[in-house]
Amino acid sequence: MLEIHNLHARLADGREILKGIDLTVAPGEVHAIMGPNGSGKSTLAAVLAGREGYEVTAGSVAYLGRDLLAMPADERAREGLFLAFQYPVEIPGVNNMYFLRAALNAQRRHRGEPELDAGQFLRAVRAKLKQLDIGEDLLQRAVNVGFSGGEKKRNEVFQMAMLEPRLAILDETDSGLDIDALKVVARGVNAARAPTRAIVMITHYQRLLNYVEPDRVHVLQGGRIVQSGDKSLAQELERRGYGPAGEAA
Amino acid sequence: MSAVVDFPSKPEARPYLDAFRRPAGEPDWLLQARERSLARFAELGFPNRRGEAWRYLDLGALAERPILPSAAGRVLARRPGAALVAERSFAPAEWRLVLVDGHFAPELSAVESLPTGVWFGSTKAAVAERPGLVREVLEKPHGSEPEAADAARAFSILNTAFFTNGFVLDVAPGVALDRPIEILHLTAADAGAAYHTRSLVSLAAGARAELVETFAGAGRYWRNDVVIVRLGEGAELARTVLVDEAEEAVHFGETAGCLEMASHLADFVLVLGGGTVRREHSIETVGARTHSSLNGAYLVSGRNQANIVTTIDHRAPGGETRELVKGVAAGRGHGAFQGRITVRPGAQQVDAHQMSRNLLLGRRAVVDTKPELEIFADDVKCSHGAAVGDLDTAALFYLESRGIPRDEARRLLIEAFLREAVELLQSPALRDHLMARLGRRLAELEE
Repeated sequence: MLEIHNLHARLADGREILKGIDLTVAPGEVHAIMGPNGSGKSTLAAVLAGREGYEVTAGSVAYLGRDLLAMPADERAREGLFLAFQYPVEIPGVNNMYFLRAALNAQRRHRGEPELDAGQFLRAVRAKLKQLDIGEDLLQRAVNVGFSGGEKKRNEVFQMAMLEPRLAILDETDSGLDIDALKVVARGVNAARAPTRAIVMITHYQRLLNYVEPDRVHVLQGGRIVQSGDKSLAQELERRGYGPAGEAA
Repeated sequence: MSAVVDFPSKPEARPYLDAFRRPAGEPDWLLQARERSLARFAELGFPNRRGEAWRYLDLGALAERPILPSAAGRVLARRPGAALVAERSFAPAEWRLVLVDGHFAPELSAVESLPTGVWFGSTKAAVAERPGLVREVLEKPHGSEPEAADAARAFSILNTAFFTNGFVLDVAPGVALDRPIEILHLTAADAGAAYHTRSLVSLAAGARAELVETFAGAGRYWRNDVVIVRLGEGAELARTVLVDEAEEAVHFGETAGCLEMASHLADFVLVLGGGTVRREHSIETVGARTHSSLNGAYLVSGRNQANIVTTIDHRAPGGETRELVKGVAAGRGHGAFQGRITVRPGAQQVDAHQMSRNLLLGRRAVVDTKPELEIFADDVKCSHGAAVGDLDTAALFYLESRGIPRDEARRLLIEAFLREAVELLQSPALRDHLMARLGRRLAELEE
């Protein structure tokens, strides 16, 4: 589903952040990418989602057999790539429900499916809210405006549930959450697990992995994946820490 | 018109002098006011861009290709039908007055069955039936003789010379209208002309009314509308104006208001269409503890230009003023806001806030914003501010990252930006009405 090969990327100011990432994710798999602050985790997520301000200087990313890097951000999303933001953006004046319906219908149009009218959409929304134990009031407000940290992350997970992506990338969705919010997020991720869907969780801590069991764990350090293993690697990291760059390898 | 050519006249005024015909059947006082005003307009000519009041509006096209009033009594070739009225109207309005090319269209209007104490009808009818009420404001829209008007007032002076009709709403003390009154200004003729309209809203002490005015049309024409607003002690007027004129239209809309003690004016304007649009408010607060809010929003694209100009003159203590004007300029559009708040000596404890926020989309669009405070009292609370910016790139990426195409994402954010102003309106039905119009306009927006 996702094949990243020797990916190098730098910021507009020339600083190189990603220094040769290799990663393969197959449908049905859940991968965790762990690493210390500044290791390039969020840059990897941003480059995959198509955020402006990064320059890919070498390497390739194939997504469902296509060149992901050649697609604009909105097209990547319509092709089933979803990024849960580390810092969800507040958008005053845009109703959360209206926004999500616009997104879902843009994706449905892209797939040649009929758009959902307000009634159909509302029914779909209610079913998902119930499944994830999220309150309906979240939807009547402007996108993320005045949301608590936990509400913002729940909103991300809720959007993921509604949009049913093929590849979901969660950028530190667990950071800053209390235990209840963490459980809601974990429930959302577990509910999203499917044989046709891949999930990449980027996280600083092992905590989320107590609730969501990954198939593979990778350590990102200094812009490269320095170690990969199964879920036991996460527990090992929790015990001994990341250490200086290169040491974990 | 040989009677008025024996005085100095500006070249751009000449075609208007030639076009003047004495309307039949009008009282002498009105004919005299028209002729004196025409003479004054000939002296003044068009407002000059070197003056502050008109500096942001390009009148070159209007000066080069004059748009003259059509001959009086002309039979309209093609009346707009009830379908157009239905499409344009604000449904909950129970009473409606429709003006087509500046003429009253009784067959499209509903001006009967108003509560006792309310006089509502055309300006022409008021001249015949209520001369005492309208004479002064028709002769002297700004409270002064036409001869004393300065160049910035040239077009309202021209309006006195040429106005064909308008509406008059006069509400007796203590009478409250519980439903909105709608005014529709439409066009019928293909060959555009100048449509000068003059109206009066007069609410006596404690009276209450809500007005919704819509301007729409097709082709190249010039709408020159002047409305006088007089609010008695404790009177309340909520007024919403939608300017959705044709691409080539020129639209000048002027409101001159006088607010007595504890009266309340809530005025809102949304400018969505029109090649050259200028909305001007001059509000005088002569009584203490008035409240006025002058909010609005505009969207210009293509080569359109829109100006919102407000002057609030606090002559009495304790007045409160709130202004929020949001502007969006795209393409080669040019938007401008000029707002002046004056606090006279002795007008203590005035509380006035003014804010102009703008979105500048694209390198060829232009926004000018000029909030001004002139304060001659020492115990006041006044502030003003202005901001011009582009769309928030983080918000744009967030929307795109969910699959919303870039154009749609931009439209969503522009709509959200303007929504903040529209949401200041009290009536949910009216907010929905304006947002629906805004949505249509955005769907065809080319940046």
